[in-house]
Amino acid sequence: MAAKAIEVNNLTFSYPDTDEPVLKDINFSINHGEILGIIGPTGAGKSTLAMCVNGLVPQVINGEMEGTVKVNGSKVSESSVAKMSEEVGFVFQEPENQLSQMTIEEEIAFGMGNLGVPRDEMLGRITHALDQVGLTGFEKRSPLALSGGQQQRLAIAAVLAMRPSIMIMDEPTSMLDPKGKNEVYDVLKNLKDYGMTGIIIDHEVERIAAYCDKVLVLHEGEVQMFAPSDEVFTNIRQLHELTLNAPQVTEFLASYNQTFGKDVKLSTTLEESVNNFESACK
Amino acid sequence: MNSLYMPKDSLIHSLDPRTKMLFVVFVVASSFILNDPALQLVFLVALFPLVVLAKVVKPYLISIQFLLLFAVLIMTVHGIYNPIGVTPVFEIFGGLTFKYESMVYASVMSFRILVIGTAAVLFVMTTHPSDMASALVKWKVPHSFAFILLSTFQIIPIIAREAKIVMEAQQARCLDVKGSLIQRVKNLVPMFAPLFIITFMKVHQLSYVLECRAFSRKGEKTSLRETKIGSLDYTFLLGMLGFLAFEIYLKLFMMGSLQLTTDALLTYSLFGTWIVFGFMIIKFVVKQFQGKIGGAN
Repeated sequence: MAAKAIEVNNLTFSYPDTDEPVLKDINFSINHGEILGIIGPTGAGKSTLAMCVNGLVPQVINGEMEGTVKVNGSKVSESSVAKMSEEVGFVFQEPENQLSQMTIEEEIAFGMGNLGVPRDEMLGRITHALDQVGLTGFEKRSPLALSGGQQQRLAIAAVLAMRPSIMIMDEPTSMLDPKGKNEVYDVLKNLKDYGMTGIIIDHEVERIAAYCDKVLVLHEGEVQMFAPSDEVFTNIRQLHELTLNAPQVTEFLASYNQTFGKDVKLSTTLEESVNNFESACK
Repeated sequence: MNSLYMPKDSLIHSLDPRTKMLFVVFVVASSFILNDPALQLVFLVALFPLVVLAKVVKPYLISIQFLLLFAVLIMTVHGIYNPIGVTPVFEIFGGLTFKYESMVYASVMSFRILVIGTAAVLFVMTTHPSDMASALVKWKVPHSFAFILLSTFQIIPIIAREAKIVMEAQQARCLDVKGSLIQRVKNLVPMFAPLFIITFMKVHQLSYVLECRAFSRKGEKTSLRETKIGSLDYTFLLGMLGFLAFEIYLKLFMMGSLQLTTDALLTYSLFGTWIVFGFMIIKFVVKQFQGKIGGAN
């Protein structure tokens, strides 16, 4: 059997200045080409978990770690973050903090330069990456002159150009307006077409439900649910216990069922919900 | 763009950054070899065609104004008070005497500042910071050092923006930013403490980002910007070398017979700086005055 894209076994992690571990005995795995959404309340350890996958935790951000994380079959703890970056790309929350170069093309070239990509190939990859995120024509501009959504897409492009097989996005849309959010999620959707594996952390359940294959619910460092997204979001009672919400349409159907004692099949997409509702009302 | 770089299409712009860095070193060396006011003045004038060639005359003149302030101060104060002077040249306000030796000393110093300043301005205005960084890397300068140089251009505007946000936030909490001077100095603490923390956090985050972009990866790195030393660079370098040889020859064998520095030259250059300085003050006052009464622009 081929190696899983990401495999996490018995992962426990604690920061040096806290008594209780932030991650407790985490187990999950995702296949190549799948997109995983991680949701959970603030402070649940979502970011820490994501950073374990590319080795930032515990190599750069110190702490005590137990268990193993494997990416494409090899242990993360046995290589460096810089080495991992060839396989795992990481996009952070704040767009502005991720930019360090004077023009957009240099920003994208920066990561590739560190990997030693020849200049001719760089040019091709820049064009391609900009095309993927819809920023073609902005090559010579300063990254600081872009809007938040554009900056975040630029950060994504810079990671894409490094051609990782796995892409992790840690709340990439929390600083963005709805339009910017859509832009970022459209890029995420494209990842699938390129056969990349993705992890996205976000609070936007609607979009997670629409774009992710699997969802992992994290609460106080423990995995509460890990299943295909439909399964997670139709389990409304448990979501509510964890102070989380399902997409509005699912919430509506659940609430309708509860109030009027009906049994309409829950769904996470708008169209399906409308159909289910219509056939139940007949 | 936050640097002084002027994107133009000129001969000087197309030179390799390394050539230009060597040029700055050459000018600094020359300014010390030619420690004679007249020769330095000739050198300064000789540098001007390069400024014209680089098409940055106007921004050059604007930035050189500030260096002229130093020149005026040095020439005036040293000329009068430097104790090495013995031969009086002329007197103003009936007691303040400019002396020959001290004027030579002051002129050499101020011309040196102007000459080095000209070269530095020429370099900064015609070299893209990224090009400079990649050229430095080719000279085996550590990659991280080149990055530090480059990131200042990026981080300064970000910090400036944060500073504005902090100031507005503190003003909203009734911090008095328009009070007396002492009060304002006291208020620097609630301004700078958050700013420092924010900056550190940002830098911290940036370090993670860099780590994720393989910054600390061993092995060869490549750059998008290509710098190549071509025939133009070699010509330029040869020219510089020739000039340097000529200077040394001049210095070693001709100094005895060649005596260009005269009282008149020193006096006129002193007056020259005064006049230009006077113009600057008039311009400044007029601007202030316009601001006071007009306020329209």
